[in-house]
Amino acid sequence: MAAKKNLSMEEILASCRSLDGGGAAEPSATPVTPSSGESTTSSSDATPSTTAAAPGKKASEMGVAEMLAAARAEKSKPAAAPKATSKAASPAVSKSSSKAAAPAAKAIPKDTSSILAAARKDVKPGPMSKAEAAVKAKGETPTRGKPKIVVPPPPEKPAYAMAHQAEEPSAGDRRSFMSTAVGTFVGSFLAVGFTSLGLTHLLWLLGFARFMFPNIRIEPPSEFRVGFPADFAPGQVETKFKAQFGVWIVRTEYEGQAQIFALKSVCTHLGCTPNWLEGEQKFKCPCHGSGFYKDGINFEGPAPRPLERYGISQASDGQLVVDKSKKFNEEKGQWADSTSFVPV
Amino acid sequence: MHVNEAEFLQGISGFLGSYYVTLAVLNGIAALYVWERLEKSRLALVWLALAVFFLALSPLAFSGDSRMMGIISVPGSIRNLVNVVMGIPWAYSTGTLVFLSLLYFFRKFFVKPVVAWSGLNAALLLMGLSITNPSFATIVTKPDNVPIVGLVFLLGFFTWLGANKAVTNDQRMKQGLEPTEKMNSEKILVWPDLVYTELICMIALTALLLVWGILLQAPLEEPASSVKTPNPSKAPWYFLGLQEMLVYYDPWMAGVVLPSLIIFGLMAIPFIDFNKQGNGYYTIEQRKFAYLTFQFGFLVLWVTLIVLGTFLRGPNWNFFGPYEIWDPHKVEALNNIDLSEYFWVIGLERALPSAPAGAGAIEQIGYIILRELPGILLLAGYLLVMPPLMAMTVFRKFFFRMGFLRFMLLANLLLFMMLLPIKMVLRWTVNLKYIIHIDEYFLNF
Repeated sequence: MAAKKNLSMEEILASCRSLDGGGAAEPSATPVTPSSGESTTSSSDATPSTTAAAPGKKASEMGVAEMLAAARAEKSKPAAAPKATSKAASPAVSKSSSKAAAPAAKAIPKDTSSILAAARKDVKPGPMSKAEAAVKAKGETPTRGKPKIVVPPPPEKPAYAMAHQAEEPSAGDRRSFMSTAVGTFVGSFLAVGFTSLGLTHLLWLLGFARFMFPNIRIEPPSEFRVGFPADFAPGQVETKFKAQFGVWIVRTEYEGQAQIFALKSVCTHLGCTPNWLEGEQKFKCPCHGSGFYKDGINFEGPAPRPLERYGISQASDGQLVVDKSKKFNEEKGQWADSTSFVPV
Repeated sequence: MHVNEAEFLQGISGFLGSYYVTLAVLNGIAALYVWERLEKSRLALVWLALAVFFLALSPLAFSGDSRMMGIISVPGSIRNLVNVVMGIPWAYSTGTLVFLSLLYFFRKFFVKPVVAWSGLNAALLLMGLSITNPSFATIVTKPDNVPIVGLVFLLGFFTWLGANKAVTNDQRMKQGLEPTEKMNSEKILVWPDLVYTELICMIALTALLLVWGILLQAPLEEPASSVKTPNPSKAPWYFLGLQEMLVYYDPWMAGVVLPSLIIFGLMAIPFIDFNKQGNGYYTIEQRKFAYLTFQFGFLVLWVTLIVLGTFLRGPNWNFFGPYEIWDPHKVEALNNIDLSEYFWVIGLERALPSAPAGAGAIEQIGYIILRELPGILLLAGYLLVMPPLMAMTVFRKFFFRMGFLRFMLLANLLLFMMLLPIKMVLRWTVNLKYIIHIDEYFLNF
C-alpha cells in the first residue's frame, strides 16, 4: 500500500511501457521496493529480456539498440517469457505491482516480434473473446480450423417474465372486481387516450356528414322550363339544353303515340355524353360507339339499355317543365308512366 | 379535315426530306458496318445502293411540290384497297394474326439480321410514302400518337431480338451444344460495369425526354365538362386495349372482371408453369406453349388492340382505314342483336318470354332466366365442358403432368382469355350484342 504511493513518476512510466512492450518482467524488476526484491531476481533469471538488457537498468534508460536486441532475443526464444515472469512475479510482488502485472499476463504482447511469434505458435494475437479465454483457462489451445462455439447457459428468467398464473377470483370479491374493471376501462392512460381518439374521430365523422349537406348548392335547379310544346316541331331533337342541363327534348312517336319527352344525355354503357347526329337520325356515343334511335332505344354498340328519361310535365302556364329529380328506365317499364312524357 | 393540299405538302416537306436523309444515313452506316466488320462486300453494296435511293428521294420531298410529292406517295388505288381492307375489323385482326403466325412459323428466316433490316427499311419507307396523305399524317404525327409509333417499332425490335436469340439457342441445342447464355457465364462487377451503363442510359433518356418535351407540345384542350365528350374520346394509349374490350363487353365485365383476371393470371404463372426448361436463356422450342400463349395474349390481344384503337378508331368510335378521312358522319349502321333474340325471335319465331304484368319478383326472375337460357347454357357449357374436353384431347400431356387443380386453373384462364376474341368475332360477323343480357339486374355478358 505504501509502496504504491512511493512509486516515482519515472517508475510508473516504466511500468506502463513494460505493459505495452515485450518485457513484462521489467515492472517487477525496476521498482526498488524492499518487498519486490525477491521477485526481481527470480524474474530476471527467467526472462531473456532482462538478461539481455542490463539487470537493474531502468526501461527508460534502454537504448534503441538494446530494445532491438531484446526483441531479437525474444524472437529466438518464443514468447514463453511473459507468462513465466508473471507467474513468478504475481505472488511475490506487492499489491501495486501485482495489479500492474495481472493485466500484463492476460494481455498478449503487441509488438511486432511477439505477434509474429504468436502467429507462428498458432496463437491469435490481439484481444480474445470470452469463449477463447475460457478455453485458454482450461489449458487447451484453440484449434485454428474450427473455433469451438461455447454457448453460455441462458440466464434465469426474472419473475416478471414468468408465465402468469391465473388468479382465481374469489367469489366474495365483487367490489374489487368492479373497481378493477372500471380502472381498466376508464382509469388507465391508454384507455383515456383511445377513448378521446375515438371521440375525436366520431366528431370528425359527424362534421364530414354535415359537410355533405351544404347550406347553399350552386348548381342549376333540378326543375326548369324549356318552352311551349308548340316550340318543338314534330320529329325534332332539341339539343340546346344539353350543354347546361344535360338533356335532350325530343318530340317524336313512341309506340304509336306522339309525345314530347326529355332524354338524359348520358350513355347507359359507361357514362359518356353521346352526340345527336341529325344526318343519321341517331344518338352516337364517341367513347365506345353505342348508338340509340331518336326515341332513345339502343341498337348498336355495347350499350345494354336505352337512354333514360327525366320527368316532364306541363305547368299551369302551358310551358313544359323538366324535372331532373325523376328518372324513368325503359327496361323497367317506367316509360309508360304519365310523368315521363307529355302527349301532343 | 379540310386542309389545303398544297399547304399541307409544304408544311410536311421539311420533315419528310430530313426523314429520307436520316434513312440514307442509317443505310450508309449499315453498309459501312457490313463492309468493315462482316466483310461482306456484296451485301454492303446493296445497303449502299439503298442509301443512295433514299438520298435521291429526299430532294423530291424537300421540294414540297405536289407533282414531286406524288411520285413518293402510295398510289391512290392501293390506298383505297388498304382503306377497304383495314376498314373491316375482322380483316384487320385476322390479318394481324395471320401475319404474326407467318412470322412465327418461318422464324428461322425472319430472325436473320439481313431480313430484319430489309423489313425495317420497308416499314420505314412505307411510312414515308404514306405520310404525304393528310389523313395518315394527322393521325401519325399527333403528339399523342408519336410515342405509339415509336413503341410499335421498339416492340418489333425487341420481339425480333428475343426470337433471334431463341432460334440460335434452339439450333445449338439441337446439335447438343449449350445455349449461348451459358457459354458466357463470366461474372462482371456491378461497379463500374452495371452502374456506368445505367448512368449513361439515365442521361440519354433524360435528354430524350427533354427534346421530346420541347418538340412535341402536350395537347391542351378546352376545360372538361360533364355534358361534353370529345369525339372520338380515347383512353391513354396503354388503356386502348381495355377501351376496345369495353366495346364488346359490359363495363363490369370488361372493366373489372377481365382486367382482374389478367393480373391474377399473370400472378398464377409460377404456379401453373411446370416446365423446368428454359431457365436463364432464350428458347422457343423448349417452351412452345408458354411462348405462344404469352405472345398471343400480349401481341394479339393487347398491342394489336392498342394499334387498332390509336390508328383505326375515329369519330363515334367507328372504324376508319389508315388513309381515310375521319368523317364524324360516317354511316355504319350496326343493328346489334342479343343471343336470346336470335334464339327466340329469329330461331323459334316467337316473342321473347316475358313475365305477365303484375307478376311477383320470383316469377319475373324465372321468366328472365327462361329468356336467357340459351346464353346461360352456352356459357356454362363453354366453361364446364371445355376443360375436360381439353384435358382429354389437346392438353392430355398437360393434364397428367399438372394434376387436376393446376390444370383447371390453366384451362379456365385460357378459356377466359379466349372469350375476348370469340366475342369480337361474333360481334363483327353476326352483330351479336350480348350472350346473356339481363338489364334488370345489370348482368350482361
